Amino acid sequence: MKKNTTNLAFYVPYGLWLGLFVIAPVLLIIYQSFFDIAGHFTLGNYATYFESGTYILMTLNSVVYAFIITALTLLISYPAAYLLHYTKHKQLWLLLIILPTWINLLLKAYAFIGIFSQDGGINSFLGMMGIGPKQFLFTDFSFIFVASYIEIPFMILPIFNAIEELNEGFVNASRDLGAKSWQTFTKVILPLTMSGVKAGVQAVFIPSLSLFMLTRLIGGNRVITLGTAIEEHFLVTMNWGMGSTIGVVLILAMFLIMFLTGERKRKGGRAS
Amino acid sequence: MKKWKWSNLYLIAVFIMLYVPIFYLIAYSFSKGDSMSNFHGFTWAHYQELFADTRMIQIVIDTLLLALLSSLIATIIGTLGALAIQRTSRPVLKNTVLSLNNILMVSPDVIIGASFLIFFTALHVPLGFMSVLMSHIAFSIPIVVLMVLPKLQEMRQSMLDAARDLGSTTGQVLSRIIVPFITPGILSGFFMAFTYSLDDFAVTFFVTGNGFQTLAVEIYARARQGISLEINALSGVMFIFALLLVIGYYFIQQGAQSRKSRKKGGALR
Amino acid sequence: MSQTIIELKHVNKTYGDTVVLKDINIEIEQGKFYTLLGPSGSGKTTILRAINGFLDVTSGDVLFSGKRVNDIPANERKVNTVFQDYALFPHMNVFENVAYGLRIQKQAKKDIKARVLSALKMVRLEGYEDREIAELSGGQQQRVAIARAIVLEPAVLLLDEPLSALDAKLRKDMQYELRELQQRLGITFLFVTHDQEEALALSDEIFVMNDGEVQQSGTPVDIYDEPINHFVADFIGESNIVSGYMIEDYLVEFNGKQFECADAGMRPHEQVEVVLRPEDLDLTSVDQGKVTVTVDTQLFRGDYYEIVAYDGAKNEWLIHSTNPAKDGDTVGLTFDPEDIHVMRLNESEEDFDARLERYEGE
Repeated sequence: MKKNTTNLAFYVPYGLWLGLFVIAPVLLIIYQSFFDIAGHFTLGNYATYFESGTYILMTLNSVVYAFIITALTLLISYPAAYLLHYTKHKQLWLLLIILPTWINLLLKAYAFIGIFSQDGGINSFLGMMGIGPKQFLFTDFSFIFVASYIEIPFMILPIFNAIEELNEGFVNASRDLGAKSWQTFTKVILPLTMSGVKAGVQAVFIPSLSLFMLTRLIGGNRVITLGTAIEEHFLVTMNWGMGSTIGVVLILAMFLIMFLTGERKRKGGRAS
Repeated sequence: MKKWKWSNLYLIAVFIMLYVPIFYLIAYSFSKGDSMSNFHGFTWAHYQELFADTRMIQIVIDTLLLALLSSLIATIIGTLGALAIQRTSRPVLKNTVLSLNNILMVSPDVIIGASFLIFFTALHVPLGFMSVLMSHIAFSIPIVVLMVLPKLQEMRQSMLDAARDLGSTTGQVLSRIIVPFITPGILSGFFMAFTYSLDDFAVTFFVTGNGFQTLAVEIYARARQGISLEINALSGVMFIFALLLVIGYYFIQQGAQSRKSRKKGGALR
Repeated sequence: MSQTIIELKHVNKTYGDTVVLKDINIEIEQGKFYTLLGPSGSGKTTILRAINGFLDVTSGDVLFSGKRVNDIPANERKVNTVFQDYALFPHMNVFENVAYGLRIQKQAKKDIKARVLSALKMVRLEGYEDREIAELSGGQQQRVAIARAIVLEPAVLLLDEPLSALDAKLRKDMQYELRELQQRLGITFLFVTHDQEEALALSDEIFVMNDGEVQQSGTPVDIYDEPINHFVADFIGESNIVSGYMIEDYLVEFNGKQFECADAGMRPHEQVEVVLRPEDLDLTSVDQGKVTVTVDTQLFRGDYYEIVAYDGAKNEWLIHSTNPAKDGDTVGLTFDPEDIHVMRLNESEEDFDARLERYEGE
């Protein structure tokens, strides 16, 4: 009996938080998605979303951007994490990877406004090479580049941790059994570090769908992601119903990603 | 040998890519002129401008206060939550709570921001410092739980039994054994909560009214208006601050690690 | 006669349908070294936990000095435990670990210091007060765990397989130390182990456990020489167990022959099991031997040869001999009447003791 009351004391504040700030907001955003701008109950938001074409196109666009950003980040991060594992002072190097994440995202975005501007760093560099100034800011390229730049540490970290956890004995065993470096990599190292890759994909893909401040500052409203649309509806046009509808789509996308990355992990676990 | 060099080259390239924008930003904070192109010669002017900007100073203080307060409260609630989860014996309930705990960890900022905005509006909570504080506490709690929980799981039952066996009551077991044991987890939880709060832009952007600004929101507003080298000066200051945080964190970790290695050495002796 | 300080009366413990303790009756007296011996899962640690209060028994009474303590929580029981993994507090140094219980009792600082230092001296860890736990070797951690428990001067010290994590050499050393410590302190030790050698070496009295029941209790010599049943004979020491018939008192038949023996009190022609310890068997020529066997393999064990041989009925015989044999040789085995120990099937400990008393008294 005594045990139950102490348990209760632990559960109350945390339980309140779970109820008020986790469950209630999700329910509220779903609830809100059934109301139009005038506050009447409607299915119109969903109808608009599926019928207008622009919303579907925007969603697809957003997914494609997120996919490109994730792929690019992964491509750069995996070798980096792998090499980092073999450096001498790896904890120190790792800290240097983490350090940029503690610089506010907006400052980093702001830096690229300078670097990519007409007479900024990149163009003066190109000028020195004899190439005329190019438009970088407010292009798809700049958005993808900056988003990848921001997300790289979040991809390196989980992969690095997975490689750290990998038992060196497996690698040695593979070599001992006659596998070449590349074969060892594809048949042993990569499958065993897949959990880190999936965690990284989760950590990068989902935020990439919603980086509205980057699209505003770097993409110059040319790039519109799900996040941009939500921000627009909530804070500019004040159409919370439509914003919530897109929010629900984003939540579904999030669960889909988590389901996909989670499910495969379990399968992999069973196979091994 | 040659291969080894090539691989280092790749790492160096990655590091350059990570740091060039930051240093670019800081370099121009010392540039005369008012744009991030063509270095016009050294000056402290932008820093003087920054420190004379009382509005900016106030925002910095507010932001730090908010981070400190929210991470402190989140650490308390999160630690209690971790203890509660640890005490839950039914696996279904435990897994459900853990999944719910992680929802805010993986949710995109805009969703958190938008849903909290609806929530506060529905409850008629005025948008401002309180709504921002509550939001920051809310999204920091799960990381504290995730930092404390592994420490709790590291704890062996026999250690708790031993404490009971030596005469401690349930309360004494908690205060003398459990809390000291999980303190490293609580500290890193607090630390993470603090950085989460400092870093946040999107959630604050949604739930703050006109009365309360955090640094991130202010930077966004100014960056949208174009380049102002005062922001560069600010990033210089913040970089130093982040560097100090990192060094502090490194020493906390190093302290824990050197204690470990000292122990190993002792065992060898 | 020393007084009984702990008593378990008809203690049962079940988890759903699983019975882990079956009608346990145990008496622990002041100042002796007791051992609960049995294979893993036999219930020995469960008994320990019933005594130190971490386990609620399903039925029966746990008595401390005659008072029922079933409902008294672990922290209020006057026994202390040395845990299997020592369970030292990693965030405290040696001194603080040992002082822990005294601090809980809110003893005066001066007393705490004096008692901690004396407890550390007792376990030969003087000068280790300021060490961190992780700086200590396994044997030293073990001593800290003991010091932490004895500093509270418990009526009984419970030790849950404390030596199992140590290597063989250290384990031997610690056995001597434990025995010495128990005699010096004069408090009762209740020791749990699955290692029969350890139990035989250390104990004043052993409880042999199997399947949640106490199979037999007694001094090490009694249990070794007069095992009550197949399980005890097999578990304690090495033995050759063959089935046979009791012809009459002091005459038993096995392997198709009749032998003089030292046991009595069974029904005529009762089916029995016969135990012959390997060290009681001597090699001799076939015609002088009581049993004829063919040597299969032998291993040199340092102080003796361990010989595995088979008789005509393909029964395996284990022999400890100071002289070597040759693989494939047919040899005779000889033994004295008192080397034969006869066991009845399913005899209760009570009946066994009564029967032994009857014919040994004669």
